[in-house]
Amino acid sequence: MARSWLEYKTQAWVQWCPGCGDFGILNSIYRAVSELGIDPENLAVVGGIGCSGRTTYYVKGSNFHALHGRAIPVATGVKLANPSLNVIVAGGDGDLMGIGGGHFVALGRRNLNITVLLFDNAVYGLTKGQAAPTLPAWIKTKALSMPNIHDNINPVLLAFAAGYTFIARGYAYHTQQLKELIKTAVRHRGAALVDILQPCPTYNNVMTNKWYEERIYYVDQEDGYDPVIRTPEEFQKKAPTIAAKLMEFGDRIPLGILYWNQTRESFEERLEKIMPGYMSAPPATRRIELDGKPFLHPFDVFKDRLIVP
Amino acid sequence: MVDISLIIGGPQGGGIESAGQIAVKSMVLLGYEVLGSREYHSNIMGAHSYYHLRVQEHRPRSLKLPVDGVLALDAESVFTHFRDVRPGGILVYDPGTRSTRVDAIQPMAAPLKKRLKSLFESKGMQPIVESAVKLAEEAGARIVGLPLKEMLKTLSERTGAPVARVSRALNTLGLASMLYMLGVPVEYVEKAIALQFAGKEKVVAMNIEAVRIAVDYVREAFGEPVERLPPGPRRGQTMIVATGNDVVAMGKIVGGLGVITYYPITPSSDEALYIEKHSYISIDGPLAEKLGYDKIAVAIVQMEDELASINAVLGAAAAGARASTTTSGPGFSLMNEAISLAVEAEIPVVVTLWMRAGPSTGMPTRTGQQDLLHSIFSGHGDAPKIVVASGDHVEAFYDAIKAFNWAEEFQTPVIHLLDKYLASSMVSLAREDLDPSKVSITRGKLLENPPGDYRRYEVEEDGISPRARLGSATMVITGLEHDEYGYATEDPVMREIMMFKRERKFKVIEERIPDEEKAVLHGDADASIALVSFGSTKQPVLEALEMLRAEGVRARFAQIRLLYPFPGRLVEEMVEGAEKVIIVEQNILGQLAMLLRAHTSIKPDSSIVKINGRPLYSFEVASAVKRILETGEERVVVSHGS
Repeated sequence: MARSWLEYKTQAWVQWCPGCGDFGILNSIYRAVSELGIDPENLAVVGGIGCSGRTTYYVKGSNFHALHGRAIPVATGVKLANPSLNVIVAGGDGDLMGIGGGHFVALGRRNLNITVLLFDNAVYGLTKGQAAPTLPAWIKTKALSMPNIHDNINPVLLAFAAGYTFIARGYAYHTQQLKELIKTAVRHRGAALVDILQPCPTYNNVMTNKWYEERIYYVDQEDGYDPVIRTPEEFQKKAPTIAAKLMEFGDRIPLGILYWNQTRESFEERLEKIMPGYMSAPPATRRIELDGKPFLHPFDVFKDRLIVP
Repeated sequence: MVDISLIIGGPQGGGIESAGQIAVKSMVLLGYEVLGSREYHSNIMGAHSYYHLRVQEHRPRSLKLPVDGVLALDAESVFTHFRDVRPGGILVYDPGTRSTRVDAIQPMAAPLKKRLKSLFESKGMQPIVESAVKLAEEAGARIVGLPLKEMLKTLSERTGAPVARVSRALNTLGLASMLYMLGVPVEYVEKAIALQFAGKEKVVAMNIEAVRIAVDYVREAFGEPVERLPPGPRRGQTMIVATGNDVVAMGKIVGGLGVITYYPITPSSDEALYIEKHSYISIDGPLAEKLGYDKIAVAIVQMEDELASINAVLGAAAAGARASTTTSGPGFSLMNEAISLAVEAEIPVVVTLWMRAGPSTGMPTRTGQQDLLHSIFSGHGDAPKIVVASGDHVEAFYDAIKAFNWAEEFQTPVIHLLDKYLASSMVSLAREDLDPSKVSITRGKLLENPPGDYRRYEVEEDGISPRARLGSATMVITGLEHDEYGYATEDPVMREIMMFKRERKFKVIEERIPDEEKAVLHGDADASIALVSFGSTKQPVLEALEMLRAEGVRARFAQIRLLYPFPGRLVEEMVEGAEKVIIVEQNILGQLAMLLRAHTSIKPDSSIVKINGRPLYSFEVASAVKRILETGEERVVVSHGS
């Protein structure tokens, strides 16, 4: 049942710069979770370090503000312990593509039911504008004394290669569309990425709102692109088209749902398959003692180590 | 009194571990208690590896050198161990290797080759196996030659399997010969083989045939053993034989483990693998009814790295599961940032740290106690945590459970400190040794129904806030300084409140952890010599105490269990009045001695140090103590082991 978005607003002062794309993302998160009717207690926002990580203080939830780059592993642990929680990772481009790149890949490999929101402004805002892994080569933003010498990572293509089963791209200032993408991502069972392009008005004076507006377009409105995979055979057929769409980033930048594989089982489903009952008595909430004592005896459990005469 | 020690040496991958385990199982079936340990190189296959075993009527405290029997399955083993046989003991080897030269053994370490060659040269001997055998014989060893090639041929003929296949039973041919010579009844060896290869009928049959061939050969060539080993006190009793890795895994599972992550690293991986094997447990009817579920499912996940491992368990612990990760020195280095987060965010997590010989990758498969200060000072920025060290397998089992209790009661990371020697050494344990009813499961201030206005970091007098699981209340768990709700703040007053809150917690930890879990005084409390040590040196030191007493030297031993918060006052009381304080530790910096200087008024007089990566032996400690008493040396470095 839908709830008021105000229920998700905390008392913390939102300390982002005026005009920051993060406001649009925050707003979209409020609207998405309220329309999905998720109880704040049942929502776990896990943030990394950077401007994006602050989201953990602004969205009312059962949240965890983690280390730089480590939001995904923390979210993984939360989800393993209590699979019934709705887990959203809020991380920046430096956080998820740089220091935490390995974890970003590993989440796709596991296809755990977690939604990753990539706050993608191509710079490190909190530390004053260094080049992030999503900043294209030879761009010189005002904080840089020399043009960026590194090529940029393509988060959506990386996610595709890593095994994410839902990949979308939104734009921070288009909150209505972004909200819908986040809703779909949260509802998806498996690893979901929403790459959220956003201007950084303070440090990225090249990739501005104007820069983005000249390039972005919505795939569902323009070219009848079908990102959905409903059968394994369909994947073989559509993969080249999807890969091509994921690679498109330059004069034209596609937004919307870029890839949605509904055939791959999630990590939770695999766990339940090898350990029936996992979901009904998950580690976080199951009882581990009886009258304050352990209830398993090693001689009854670890029979492979017994020497029986 | 039965006291038998053996070494089984051969190439890595040559069945040394299984031979060792068969020996262990034979002896346990016969009713004895065992301590067995494997030494091996950090390589994939081929380099020298050996199993060192001791058998007694009670659980052996330490490995012993020299041994009663060395089984050398290849030439390298003869060269490595010919000096390890006691006078009257046996050296079993293959005379077919008689003329093998030191230089022909590729995997052998160059420094050892050099030492051997100069030894043989000094005696005017050729650098060949025969010289080594001759030296062993001159030192009083009985030489048992086994024509292993011919025996394999016989085995091949009797089983109809090609020589290449039956050569996998080479270890059994040698082992059975040695055990027969030592008077172990052959039926126990056969039973042990059936246990070792349970479910693999052909392998069992081949190995039992190997036993028979070995016994027939040895009986004919050397006659019946002088005496048959009588049954030991535990015959007929069901026992567990387990390594340190195993017992920690057992403790964790019994203690309510819910999520464990790891990234493969020696010697911690075996703990994780053992947990994986038992990560899904069915519970019977009445118990299931009381618990409300009938399957225990532990999530064990091999993560992408150590950073992920620790951060995932932080998430799992915050969500309410008993969560742990297991690692070794290099992996623990990578976890340091998250340890600091766990302190600031007050997350109950258990990190099992299996020390090995560093620095860096150092000697990955060898033992040491070099991460003591690393564990205590892990984490940046005023980050106290609990560090507990187990002295032996039994302690390790209970500590694995208690570590979770402490983590949850005090809402802070607990580092459970162990080492490679405990990890891979195997002991026999009776039902009462691993008795979970001796420990409680306490979860501290864990709220089942947190209030509407829940404050995760509520400031309480004891510094411990009521804890709610993620998912049961709104909150922010954070590594930033924060207010009671978890909202980030840099307010100077709130900063002090929170710093003092976390500091108070550590005073409470010192008060609430009972003295006997902080440090234990062994031996003669009023003796003028006091040994101080921690970790797996416990049992060798205890045996050294007995050895010294037999020679009229009385000593006491303060075993430190809790390394942080350090029980300074208690340790001071334990060594009070001693004329000589001797620290025993396996690191070169004198890390424990540093802690004593920092936390007590004790000024250690001397130290006994072992840094060669091999386990500490009791006889080394005893003779080092005597040497210190005679010479007053400040540091005695002991160096036995191959």
